[in-house]
Amino acid sequence: MIRDSLRLRLLAAAAVAIFVALVMAGTGMSWFFERHIEQREADALIRDGKLIAGGLRVDAAGRPVADVQPGDDRYGEAGSGLYWQLTTSKGSAHSDSLWDQNLPLQPGSDREDWRARHLPGPFGKSLLMVERRILPEQAAEPVLVQLATDDGPLHAARREFNRETALSLGLLWLFLLIAAYVQVTLGLRPLTTVRRQIATLRGNPAARLPGGHPREIAPLAEAINALAEAREADLGRARKRAGDLAHSLKTPLAALAAQNRRAREAGAVEAADGQDRALAAMRAALETELARSRAAAARDAGHSLAADIETQIENIIAVIERTELGERLIFDVHMPDELHVPVASEDLTELLGALIENAARHARVRVRVRGGMAEEESQLWIEDDGPGLGRESSEAVMARGSRLDEAGPGHGLGLAIVSDLMQATDGTIALGRSELGGLEVRLAWLVERSPAAPRKSAFLRWMTRHR
Amino acid sequence: MRVLVVEDDPVVGPDLAQALREAGFAVDLSIDGEDAWYRGDVEDYALAVLDLGLPKLDGLSVLKRWRSEGRSFPVLILSARSDWTEKVEGIQAGADDYVGKPFAMGELVARVRGLVRRAAGHASPLLAVGRVTLDTGRMTATVDDRPMRLSPLEYRFLDLLAHRPGRFLCASEIAEHLHGTDDAADANAIEALVLRLRRKVGPDVIESRRGFGYMIAGS
Repeated sequence: MIRDSLRLRLLAAAAVAIFVALVMAGTGMSWFFERHIEQREADALIRDGKLIAGGLRVDAAGRPVADVQPGDDRYGEAGSGLYWQLTTSKGSAHSDSLWDQNLPLQPGSDREDWRARHLPGPFGKSLLMVERRILPEQAAEPVLVQLATDDGPLHAARREFNRETALSLGLLWLFLLIAAYVQVTLGLRPLTTVRRQIATLRGNPAARLPGGHPREIAPLAEAINALAEAREADLGRARKRAGDLAHSLKTPLAALAAQNRRAREAGAVEAADGQDRALAAMRAALETELARSRAAAARDAGHSLAADIETQIENIIAVIERTELGERLIFDVHMPDELHVPVASEDLTELLGALIENAARHARVRVRVRGGMAEEESQLWIEDDGPGLGRESSEAVMARGSRLDEAGPGHGLGLAIVSDLMQATDGTIALGRSELGGLEVRLAWLVERSPAAPRKSAFLRWMTRHR
Repeated sequence: MRVLVVEDDPVVGPDLAQALREAGFAVDLSIDGEDAWYRGDVEDYALAVLDLGLPKLDGLSVLKRWRSEGRSFPVLILSARSDWTEKVEGIQAGADDYVGKPFAMGELVARVRGLVRRAAGHASPLLAVGRVTLDTGRMTATVDDRPMRLSPLEYRFLDLLAHRPGRFLCASEIAEHLHGTDDAADANAIEALVLRLRRKVGPDVIESRRGFGYMIAGS
């Protein structure tokens, strides 16, 4: 599991590194503490030792005598844990606290400066002992001065210190772990952002990651954008090839139709009829494929703004006005400035071209194209003053999930491209009666394309189907 | 009446030429763009049927060259690419109609006839009213000497007003002339027509007065 998660890996590494660092710090602190308190104890012993040395002499028998003794009562209390002892080769003197015991004489006790060391002492206790040789005035040989203290309390203090330090360092470890978690989370946040942005790339070949990434993530975003560009180019090429193939078949189809016409003129009427039906089926299949390929390309391909939409509608009207179909019609276009729809210009031209042409086909004198923004929806209405669909036909069309091309012949809505493009751009279609008297086709898109949008639009599709 | 058919397909081109000959036209067939451009430039045709995918020079370029050289005969574009985007491009380049392949020959011949009929008017005395000048033969209009791209209906509307200078024509009267009906819905439609026309020719060219109707300003 740790292998799979960058966060866990970073956290585990941080936990181990911080733990090792804290253990090392704890060990060091313990060592310094122990050295410090030992030094203090040794200093206290040396102080007493110097006091004794001040009144040190050797009697006539050559035995050492301490004329001055330290004031600490523990030197007079047997087994108290605080001792002094003076030794020459002729004899020794010691504090009452040693009772009948002696401080051990160790090799290396002949130094002439104070030296501290640990060693086992009387009464089964371990001792911290300081010692040096001092040559009193008029003495024939030096006296070994030894002072010792029971090191049990030192060990107890060290244990106490270690326990408290371990507890503190444990708490510090937890705190640093939390800090590491926050740091890792903050550090990985740009990746989460990139991941969210990549999710939008998935549905939209034209989308790119926006800029503004941290310096470390920017090359990744650039690489992803380069990949998206390559993918879009591949898609574009594939679609173009499919479109070119479909288009290239159209001229041969026209040629077949021409030959068929000759066959009909030569008397082969029945064969020509059959061929015509086959040609019509082939043409329909080509148109459907072209519509599909265009719809696939239209998926989140871009946005069109009001000025753009109006220009496209005027261009379409300019085409229709020149045909017999449109030359007698009045076209009425109203687009509010704030309108924008999630459909790229070219696709919108195809979509509106098919619908306006259809409206023109059925209009008496007038076709109206309106746009509007309502709540989070962009809407377009294409209306005519023709006979309309009639309530039953409208309901029948809507009940089939608003696929206009499945509405069948009779109401002139063989508009595969409209359904496919609306579906591809997460839009909805509703048919109704226009106040002009004819059919009203209402197109709507949710314009706030947040992650929740697809769910909303699925809901809208459901609403459309069940209205 | 001479018609130029520009189509490189060895079956479709001759067949189209044949069908148009049967419909009473004198047809020249051209099979590449350069030849078509040359013929359209030097010959006098009543109409051209122009395929877009042509060898040597593509159809849209041929059409643009004709128009830039002042050749104004109607052009019907015939193309395998029948997208709206391409239709719009074709019309903006100066075409008068657009038929996608494969097509029904009967429909194409009918559209050729319609175009020829519409373009058949010869140059005739100009009718100048206010800032508007109408060529009643070619059915074209200029405002302050700027040529306007009007739809046939918009031209007919201006023509109607121009023939009644100095008089307001009410919406129902206009609707009756244009559509043969005078119901209230059509009167509303006339308002929409005037709105569109004003956007094209300028806001002051058509004067309106509530309760009276419309007339060309300054007539």
